[in-house]
Amino acid sequence: MGIKQRGIKILTAILLSFLLLTTACAQATPDRFTAVQQESTRKGSGLAVAKNATQGSEFNKFFPTSSDEYQRVFTQEKKGFAEANLKKAGKVIAQLAISDTTSTPAAAAKFDKSTEKIAGYPSLEIGTTQTAILVSNKYQVKVISKDPTFKTGDRADWIQKFNLDGLASLK
Amino acid sequence: MSKPIQKLVDELPTGGLTVSMLNALDFVAPGEWKNPVGFVNTIKSVTGEDDEDLIQQIGERAIYLYNDHSQGYQTAMWLYQTVDATDKALGAAILANKVGEKIPLLGFLNSLTPKAEKAQTIDLTLKLVAELIAFCQINGIPGDSIGDFVAALGEYGGESMIRMVALVCVDGLIPLGPHFIDKALQGIGNMTPNDLNSNATFSSIKDKIPGESDGKKLNFIGESFNSVTGWMSNIVSENNISVETLLERFQGFIEFSEDKLDYLAALIDVSTNYYEHTGTQTLAKRLIERAFAEI
Repeated sequence: MGIKQRGIKILTAILLSFLLLTTACAQATPDRFTAVQQESTRKGSGLAVAKNATQGSEFNKFFPTSSDEYQRVFTQEKKGFAEANLKKAGKVIAQLAISDTTSTPAAAAKFDKSTEKIAGYPSLEIGTTQTAILVSNKYQVKVISKDPTFKTGDRADWIQKFNLDGLASLK
Repeated sequence: MSKPIQKLVDELPTGGLTVSMLNALDFVAPGEWKNPVGFVNTIKSVTGEDDEDLIQQIGERAIYLYNDHSQGYQTAMWLYQTVDATDKALGAAILANKVGEKIPLLGFLNSLTPKAEKAQTIDLTLKLVAELIAFCQINGIPGDSIGDFVAALGEYGGESMIRMVALVCVDGLIPLGPHFIDKALQGIGNMTPNDLNSNATFSSIKDKIPGESDGKKLNFIGESFNSVTGWMSNIVSENNISVETLLERFQGFIEFSEDKLDYLAALIDVSTNYYEHTGTQTLAKRLIERAFAEI
């Protein structure tokens, strides 16, 4: 075998192994979301939101209303979920949300650890920006700070501005 | 199976012609658009949280929601991708230019075909209709609610705002001139269902456009465009946008002469994907906001 031919053979072998190595790597680099990606696509669709979840449009009427100082602008309305921006002088200072935990049992279960109450409902602080309560063991009401001036106490105040009794009577 | 949402957000570029163009339009809404890229990074910037366990929970819920076809997010993504029919080969040739060097329009004249006004009008109005439908798919307002859409345009910020500004500038002003709104209104008024049907983008997305017949879909397109003309002309007048100011800004990254505006529009059309790019960012933001509120 000539030197040239041998050289080509060696080069081919190197290239092949390099190719195998890179394809193997490309396939075998699971990241922190690989498992949930597989799980959420394996069982087919219709999984993220429960069939019997309450329509988001049912929640709208229980949100705090706009005033001279604050504007409430609805931003999302999906099955089991409704959200609005709370604005002051044109700036979003907080987000207000109601969700049906039928689709997210873990969201309801976390209130087992709650030791505080707001308006008689179990409450939790989540992360550094959220205050949440669970109404009728089913509906989660959250107020989320979007501006540093909107603090923990403001969140508790605004949770009480929802029509919580009305929400509790929703079937 | 289309690409996972986390991959789409992770793979958004931080440079290239699309990003250069969007940055050049930033003067209309200074600081509104910061090109958020990366899934985890986007979760952090949208929520303001940095606890890894919390970020994991938000990411997992967002992925579940996206992968549930009934939630409409994948339809929205597909619309953003479909109205941005880029020419990959030409895009690659343009990218072959050295980083930092201006793209010479002259070098690509032979590969470009300027669009006739009718085709450009269809392009402009279809992108707007795609925005309306994608908005409703993402935010859940029924698909034919033009009034809600127009009200929400006032709330548009960040990547949605810069997308609408780009639409006005590169799909309106540059190819159709300062009277692009009237031209498009007139163009859509004279259009027949047959004209629409010979358009490839329309054929792709027609099933998603409200209306039982092509004629009714055409009406819907016309009404949608008509309802945002006031908003569009406000963007132009409030920001003193003119073809001249745009060209001055675009000279920063494309080398062209002003007698070749139709070619400049064609180059931008085939080599940028600003709808898909910022659409991915809009969708990710709303998805993450919902996930954060639901967990």
